[in-house]
Amino acid sequence: MKNIMGLVFANIYDSSLGQLTNKRTQASLPFGGRYRQIDFTLSNMANAGIRHIGIVTQYNYQSLMNHIGSGEEWDLELEEGGLEFITPYSQGINNNFRGKIEAIHGAGRSFLDKAPEEYIVLADASVICAMNLEEVIRAHIDSGRDVTVVVKAGIANANKQLDLAVHVDENGEVDDLAVDYDAPADYLASMGMFVMRCDLLMASAEECMAHNRFRFERDFILQDWTDGKLSVNAFEFHNVALFNESAEEYFRNNLAIIDRNVRHSLFRDDLTIYTKVRDQVPTYYGESCEIDDCIVADGCMLLGKAFNSVLFRRVRISTGAVVRNCVVMSNTEIGIGAQLEYCILDKDVKISAGTKLIGTAEHPVILNRGDAV
Amino acid sequence: MNFPKKRCVAMLLAGGQGSRLLVLTENTAKPAVPFGGKYRIIDFPLSNCVNSGIDTVGILTQYQPLELNEYIGNGQPWGLNRSHGGVSVLPPYAKSKKSEWYKGTANAIYQNIPFIERYDPENVLILSGDHIYRMDYARMLRYHEEHDSDVTIAVRKVPMEEASRFGIMNTNPDGSIYEFEEKPKQPKSNNASMGIYIFKWSILRKFLVEDEENPDSDNDFGKNVIPAILNAGHKMMAYDFEGYWKDVGTISSLWEANMETLGLNPAFNLYGDGTAQIYARNYALPASYIDTKSKNVNCLIAEGCEVYGDITHSVISTGCKIGRNAMIEDSVIMPNVVIEDGVIIRNAIIGEDCKVCSGAVIGGSFREGEKRQISVVGKNHVIAANQVVKPGEVI
Repeated sequence: MKNIMGLVFANIYDSSLGQLTNKRTQASLPFGGRYRQIDFTLSNMANAGIRHIGIVTQYNYQSLMNHIGSGEEWDLELEEGGLEFITPYSQGINNNFRGKIEAIHGAGRSFLDKAPEEYIVLADASVICAMNLEEVIRAHIDSGRDVTVVVKAGIANANKQLDLAVHVDENGEVDDLAVDYDAPADYLASMGMFVMRCDLLMASAEECMAHNRFRFERDFILQDWTDGKLSVNAFEFHNVALFNESAEEYFRNNLAIIDRNVRHSLFRDDLTIYTKVRDQVPTYYGESCEIDDCIVADGCMLLGKAFNSVLFRRVRISTGAVVRNCVVMSNTEIGIGAQLEYCILDKDVKISAGTKLIGTAEHPVILNRGDAV
Repeated sequence: MNFPKKRCVAMLLAGGQGSRLLVLTENTAKPAVPFGGKYRIIDFPLSNCVNSGIDTVGILTQYQPLELNEYIGNGQPWGLNRSHGGVSVLPPYAKSKKSEWYKGTANAIYQNIPFIERYDPENVLILSGDHIYRMDYARMLRYHEEHDSDVTIAVRKVPMEEASRFGIMNTNPDGSIYEFEEKPKQPKSNNASMGIYIFKWSILRKFLVEDEENPDSDNDFGKNVIPAILNAGHKMMAYDFEGYWKDVGTISSLWEANMETLGLNPAFNLYGDGTAQIYARNYALPASYIDTKSKNVNCLIAEGCEVYGDITHSVISTGCKIGRNAMIEDSVIMPNVVIEDGVIIRNAIIGEDCKVCSGAVIGGSFREGEKRQISVVGKNHVIAANQVVKPGEVI
């Protein structure tokens, strides 16, 4: 689909993910043993043939840039189009973006205005899914509406605040929109993905900026829809979509991929998820190790026990250590006889011999990158 | 265009048919045979080049080159996508007067003299594409230069009783070679050639041209070129290498070398000491899933696998599916193999993309002292449900 460009927002949920995003963007948060969250967004776009993608980021973007590099893993290292990073201070805007609108407006001068593409897909890097975006784009064009928002049922539960809640009637027509709303279960949750024409997006961003309106969902989608200026189409996504908007959700969703159905919905033969590949040796399973119901990446040295856990690259579990219901990121070492339950261990953590750390499913113990306990 | 002179260019001989690897090389050049869960044999000499600071490598291909060509690509996984140098795949090609296949190892290099001359190198390193080892060629090159040697040959000590199977270098106390014997009946020493040579390019070029003009020559390095250079009185040094090295040209040595990557202190450690990494082309595969019912003991499992069965002392390569109640022992499972429920595999090598249907039994077990016979299933085969593949059988 040559006529479509993509725009990814890398920092949207940084604040709600707490210490996990102290030194990285939400987009570069490790997920599922060997991925970063943005891999799913970029792969979905690349698999739909989108060859021109902007990544909006404002702070902590070193790890993101390291990970993406020139975009060659997604075949985005191109003469024309390809990947562009859009950061504040590089566009003549001397402050951080006050919302997606300002970022879009800022991107306008360099990225959007000159783009030859007619349509644009906007996405946050917070929802993990394998999506056939071509279908979504085709449905958008067929609908004849101004904007298509991709939505998911089963997320709204009256307790989770949704950025954008969407209600549709029996014909699938949008009959209510609400922002920052603890929507009841009959609402659909926006997956933070929108399709529209580039010129409409640019004109709307211009209009919003003129009135000091910076928030995309509230000040543009909801406002213009309420005013009758914008027609909105909802596209319901039926496969697995994991919303990582808080540390607790992030923890639960990592463990969710241990389930066969979830795993097979995310990792499919027809929609490959690409990531930066690294040269790691295959994982070694020792004489007395016991690994049950785990996701295990390359380069690990497993001599102890692990149950219902996700082990990223180069994790080392020493003899006699027991890891249960944990997310263990790359390069972390777990010492002899240590006992861990319900923990998120960030990268390069060292757990000394005999340490005991027990969290709960709702409040996992979280250790920061490089911590030694 | 003028480019700076290169100190050393590597030429990797990857054209061998590898007929002793039987079905595993039916449609694959030997250097492209999978090894160690996620590697191919050629990754080892290529990674050694990169880790030794050699950035110009010619790969001479001939037999079944398609898979190898695709695997090497632009050399990016090894950091060999350079603007000057990098990796070049060199198949035999039609020249203005005549075109011909590579007649022998020396002829393969002879036909690529124009390629080497582009880089105007001081030295040329000749490598084989069928050895598993980790070696710093830079140290060997320094040794070669310090001794102002014309030819330096890497050697390693082999047990005296096995020496008659190798090319043996007889040396003076200062390490210079005075005699070369190919598979001697009564070996005088146990310095076996590893098939790794550094030549001064000016010398090699002269002897390649002379060798080509000799109609009786087999155009082979070991048989013809090296003896000729030695007989002409040029300085030839032996360079001692003490690390792990294995020629994986046979089924049993390929199986053994794979097994030698296993254990807490393996004979050949794929991890290395953190300085000389082995690079490979990596594919976008998810992390592996290990089920509750699966029991894995002393094994390597690469990425993209789903493991429900039991694995003992084996190498499981990328993208394999191992069914419930399957049992795999002392075996090498190459990439993308599907093993269904209840299959038993012992002492076997299963080629890439095979499917082993439920209840099949491949290979057998051996008692201490008994001769181990390795069963082999070639690439892309389907073993029917409940089919039996006998110990040592090759399909």
